[in-house]
Amino acid sequence: MMRFIEAEKIPELLASLTAGGHEVWAPQEARDTGGAVLFDTIGGTGVLSLDRLTTLSAKHLLLPGTEKLFSFRYALTADGERVELRHEEPQPEKTVLFGARACDARAITILDALFSPRQASAKTYNDPHYRARRENITVITLACVTCDAACFCSSFPNGSAEKSGSDVFMYPVEDGFLAEAITGKGGEITAGPLFEDSELEPPPLAETARVDLAGLKGGLMEIFADMDFWSRATEKCLSCGYCTYSCPACYCFNITDEMRSDREGERLRSWDSCMFHLYTQETSGHNPRPAPAHRFRNRVNHKFSYYPANQGEILCTGCGRCVRGCPAGLDIREVLEAARARAAEKSASREVPK
Amino acid sequence: MTTVAQAGPGAGTPLIPEPATVVGVVAETPNIRTYRLVLDDPAVMEGFAFLPGQIGQLSVFGAGESTFAISSPPSQRDYIQFSVMRTGEVTRAIHELAEGDKAGVRAPLGCAFPAEEWRGKNILVVGGGIGMAPLRSLLMHLLDHRDDYGRLNLIYGARTPADLCFAEDRQAWQERSDLDFVATVDAEHPDWSGRVGLVPTVLEEENPDPADTVAITCGPPIMIKYTLQSLDKMGYREEQIYTTLERRMKCGIGLCGRCNVGARYVCTDGPVFSLRELREMPDEL
Repeated sequence: MMRFIEAEKIPELLASLTAGGHEVWAPQEARDTGGAVLFDTIGGTGVLSLDRLTTLSAKHLLLPGTEKLFSFRYALTADGERVELRHEEPQPEKTVLFGARACDARAITILDALFSPRQASAKTYNDPHYRARRENITVITLACVTCDAACFCSSFPNGSAEKSGSDVFMYPVEDGFLAEAITGKGGEITAGPLFEDSELEPPPLAETARVDLAGLKGGLMEIFADMDFWSRATEKCLSCGYCTYSCPACYCFNITDEMRSDREGERLRSWDSCMFHLYTQETSGHNPRPAPAHRFRNRVNHKFSYYPANQGEILCTGCGRCVRGCPAGLDIREVLEAARARAAEKSASREVPK
Repeated sequence: MTTVAQAGPGAGTPLIPEPATVVGVVAETPNIRTYRLVLDDPAVMEGFAFLPGQIGQLSVFGAGESTFAISSPPSQRDYIQFSVMRTGEVTRAIHELAEGDKAGVRAPLGCAFPAEEWRGKNILVVGGGIGMAPLRSLLMHLLDHRDDYGRLNLIYGARTPADLCFAEDRQAWQERSDLDFVATVDAEHPDWSGRVGLVPTVLEEENPDPADTVAITCGPPIMIKYTLQSLDKMGYREEQIYTTLERRMKCGIGLCGRCNVGARYVCTDGPVFSLRELREMPDEL
């Protein structure tokens, strides 16, 4: 049975979740940002904005832009110098992510596979910081009944009806939202007094533009060495990294030390970007990915070839943020379509009998 | 497929190093120093186990962390050794470490040379410059198990006599009758009475028979390139040749993203690869 909540009761719902001890993040039109809609904690000056996808994703709730891995302190003792490492158990807030979209929620399951996999093996890693945040987050997803020209989640198996990563899946209907509990944690929320049982049918969901990902299979590696293609397809790239920072699934990071005094400091993990020249540059000066074309090729291949080979899933959810926000107007869908055509051309020319 | 050597008990949890103390520093060349470290927790030091070819992250807290091959052999239980060339910020901080100073170690990481699989075979080790670091660990391990292997050749070269590492070891290796060791420098030098010639040239002159032999090479990229050509000319097949790759690394656990070559991560799937595996990987070295 679906549950229903009136649209005007949403602020009350968010307030009650806050009163229940949650830090509640919801899409809000931020002041003085030229209309950007960002996830922010409620109670500030932002205005709740539920009619479009946020400009940036919510991945920072699980993987903060910068976080402390541990702190260190050099101490002088009677026996000489000691170094003390202090690693505090992460104590995250109970968090509600309200108004994520299906693409955002699925991205969380991608991060899970890397930072807190359900099935551990000798090769998997369970990050204590990520795990603690993940266990404490509840995701209330808002289903998309509309989309924009940059969206392409319909390229993936469940499209805009993808429910993985969501605890509650809410459909916009007249005057309110139908809420489907996906997990027990979600059920506790929809069982609340602001919701009532409903016989309403969920509305049809958005159909977005599609990229032929099945047709792409294997093709990317066929044209790996075709630098003519990669240089032309990516010549607009400025290596600014917007695509990776705005991506809900990009997770690459850097590790650096910061001193807080002359004897104390912290080791930090921060977002990094494969689009940056220094990302792979070795101290000798050698760089295996020296040009923007090499780096863009790696980003495309990581998402659509390497990651699927290693994890069985595509490292993209079709949210379109990289398309919407690229300052040079580079559209990864066009690169993928061109790559597919180029690979097909290449294999066709090979099949021509001599 | 390179055998994944199961790391034994290691130092440090995945991203948090084990505090360690420098117990020895050896100046190898004008810009290479060898650091011997003991983990501060005696139980962790006691249990520490690795195999040649595996790597570690060496930290100077405040400066950061960099990846190095472990250059001591597994039989060396008194310390863990890294040989470090001064090239950037972290290595400069490492070069400032003196005996008694504190550091951090995350090790072992990555896959080892499949030395177990090579039992009964002849072994040819070809090293250049700092590339001798992982090969030193391997060579000493092979010498520890000398009876398990056939003919053992080592060709080690550097630009000048001053750029050759491991002087004490080289002396000992020269004296062994069960190791055919040729040290070479690129050009004539007043301090050098030994062999002169580039490593690939000397390799071809020595010409160790490829039959039932495994060749392992590590050195500067240009040396590796020509060494592989020489080995090919000498009749070595791709699956007989192994090398160990270097990439910029941060996490060492296949997560931070930068050290991939195609779908494989040098830090976890490597750094040891056979030439056959390398040929199957996309050309992005």
